[in-house]
Amino acid sequence: MRSKTLVIWGAAALVLAVGVVLLMRPAAGTGVEEASPDRIAALVAEGVRVIDVRTPGEYETSHIPGAENVPVDVVRTEALGWDRAEPIVIYCTTGARSAEVVRFLAAEGFERVHHFTAGLVAWGGELERGSEVAAMPPGETPTDMPVMYEFYTDW
Amino acid sequence: MKPVVDRLSQEYAGRVEFKLYDVDKSEEGQRLMRRYGAQYVPTFVFVGSDGAEAGRAVGEVSEAEMRRLLDSLE
Repeated sequence: MRSKTLVIWGAAALVLAVGVVLLMRPAAGTGVEEASPDRIAALVAEGVRVIDVRTPGEYETSHIPGAENVPVDVVRTEALGWDRAEPIVIYCTTGARSAEVVRFLAAEGFERVHHFTAGLVAWGGELERGSEVAAMPPGETPTDMPVMYEFYTDW
Repeated sequence: MKPVVDRLSQEYAGRVEFKLYDVDKSEEGQRLMRRYGAQYVPTFVFVGSDGAEAGRAVGEVSEAEMRRLLDSLE
């Protein structure tokens, strides 16, 4: 009787352990991890590629050190040229805009997407301000001369 | 705005590069407009030689204000 009880408890413990492991790993098939601030800090320290999907102005104000600025309205195009197996951190201010981007990346088959679910408001680490990356459009190279852009229509 | 911009582009030639985009016709202009988060036309975005945005103006802008923004780039 005693050994039967032990077997039952052992089986229950095994089921519980497997359940915990399954809950802690990324959702099967999506490659997405909903990551905490501490987890993001660890990934940043490891040198994982970090993408800030906010506007250039927001990025200019402050961003996670080393983050690249690829705003949400252009990331869907630019991401198509990225390595889908490379680990990548995605964030915005509160996690709302980045959630859309993460869904897109998952659908595109990106295998290791770490979503900073709480966003930059929850970031307790160092912040960096300003960068050429924020203002320099893709495909453009820095020049010694300042530029004035005018966007207009004929009507 | 066109006469003012034309005049200033000549005056600041060699010091500030003027890039003008008709966003109805230019895909590059549309891309840059999105990149800079511009939502209205006309929008003027002033970018320093370090690549950082130094200022912007939306709508009808006086020549004096344009000069102030251009001078801030130098």
